[in-house]
Amino acid sequence: MGLLDLIRKLKSSQDKELRILLLGLDNAGKTTLLKKLASEDVSHITPTQGFNIKSVVSSGFKLNVWDIGGQRKIRPYWRNYFENTDVLIYVIDSADQKRFEETGLELSELLEEPKLQGVPLLIYANKQDLLQAAQASEIARGLSLDTIRDRKWHIQACSAQSGEGIKEGIDWMSTVVGKKK
Amino acid sequence: MGNCLCKRKREPKRKITLGIFGLDNAGKTTTVKVLAGDPHTETAPTVGFNQEVIGIHQYDITFYDLGGGKKIRDIWQTYFPEIYGVVYVVDSTASDRMDEIKENLQMLLEDEKVSGKPILLLANKQDQETALDEVDIMEQLNLENTVNINRCPCRIETCSAIKGTGRKIDPSIKNGIKWLCGMIDHNWEKFHGRVESDMEEQKKKREAELEARRERVKKLREERERKERE
Ligand SMILES: Nc1nc2c(ncn2[C@@H]2O[C@H](COP(=O)(O)OP(=O)(O)OP(=O)(O)O)[C@@H](O)[C@H]2O)c(=O)[nH]1
Ligand SMILES: Nc1nc2c(ncn2[C@@H]2O[C@H](COP(=O)(O)OP(=O)(O)OP(=O)(O)O)[C@@H](O)[C@H]2O)c(=O)[nH]1
Ligand SMILES: [Mg+2]
Ligand SMILES: [Mg+2]
Repeated sequence: MGLLDLIRKLKSSQDKELRILLLGLDNAGKTTLLKKLASEDVSHITPTQGFNIKSVVSSGFKLNVWDIGGQRKIRPYWRNYFENTDVLIYVIDSADQKRFEETGLELSELLEEPKLQGVPLLIYANKQDLLQAAQASEIARGLSLDTIRDRKWHIQACSAQSGEGIKEGIDWMSTVVGKKK
Repeated sequence: MGNCLCKRKREPKRKITLGIFGLDNAGKTTTVKVLAGDPHTETAPTVGFNQEVIGIHQYDITFYDLGGGKKIRDIWQTYFPEIYGVVYVVDSTASDRMDEIKENLQMLLEDEKVSGKPILLLANKQDQETALDEVDIMEQLNLENTVNINRCPCRIETCSAIKGTGRKIDPSIKNGIKWLCGMIDHNWEKFHGRVESDMEEQKKKREAELEARRERVKKLREERERKERE
């Protein structure tokens, strides 16, 4: 047991490149978040038709982040990007309570994907600047996060516009992937 | 994780699930970490779900570690049907929060999916000078009464989760877990049967809820798309 653990640790500490999948409904703020993460200007962002990819170094990891458009007609293409995902980031517009159930349903379907089995899930509860901070337990219920048993998950309140909260989410991510089997 | 060589000699490992509860900052995540043998490093508050499967004695224990903060605490209930026993962690230095802890503990043990299950109370952070001792904690939490009313076998251990990890873990924690497993083992048929039937019930409820949700989303979607066309 000791030896195997050691090998695993050595391997994961060398292998610090992570493939991150950024999903969520249209207008959730995925592209804004990605640009903010890369310290780019976020003032002229248009809906994503295909995908964006950026490499960002943060918390000692090289993150290769794939941001896929969330419009309904694009969602069927999400599956083309599932392979080898280390962490799934799911962005929600916390101000759009009307679509909580819809986004929760999309998420449930994602979580059933064999290729995403066991992949840790980070929820960015975005657009916190627009409203009273939504209660984490409400989001957890609305999105049925509390029915998940096969992976770790974490809710991070953030504002992609101001950048607040983004770093904390990445920190959580780096603590869970350090232990990835 | 398990060592394959000794498996042959032993009976199959028993799989049990334990819920680790307590207010924010109690030391739940730290406790799970040192039980798993991970080095003790600074933790961030949990706003979500963390689980570890840890082999202890002849058991494979799945620990459910949830956030204890006010804003996330409400989701604990969803996990109650699945747990065989409770590890409740108390920050023994939080003398100004004993009333809050008392109420939280009462709420937990009164739940019909928890009553009757064994509970290990870890009076944590004993390395701190201001830590209350077990007698004070039992008194201030009205522990005896609460566990008796709810028929929960209970054991209290004073400990410090940051003392050491893995084999160097505070022996009180290890002994406490051993006691908890023993209690469950001793009444295995009863607890196992209860968890199985509660989980079955929960599954049905969940499926019905999901179906209703699908319907609602479909309606909302249709409505929105109609409006977009107009
Ligand atoms: N107030 C506020 N607006 C935000 C925030 N993040 C994003 N937005 C706005 O929300 C809108 C959608 O943002 P995008 O980043 O394009 O959303 P997306 O998830 O990439 O959308 P698709 O590419 O269509 O899937 C834009 O007008 C952003 O300026 C935020 O934190 N606060
Ligand atoms: N002095 C001392 N500090 C401890 C001990 N156990 C945990 N801590 C510290 O207490 C703080 C909270 O610990 P966590 O394990 O994150 O607490 P938690 O119960 O998981 O908190 P939530 O996730 O917010 O519910 C951290 O700074 C720990 O390092 C202990 O035995 N002694
Ligand atoms: Mg986009
Ligand atoms: Mg915690």
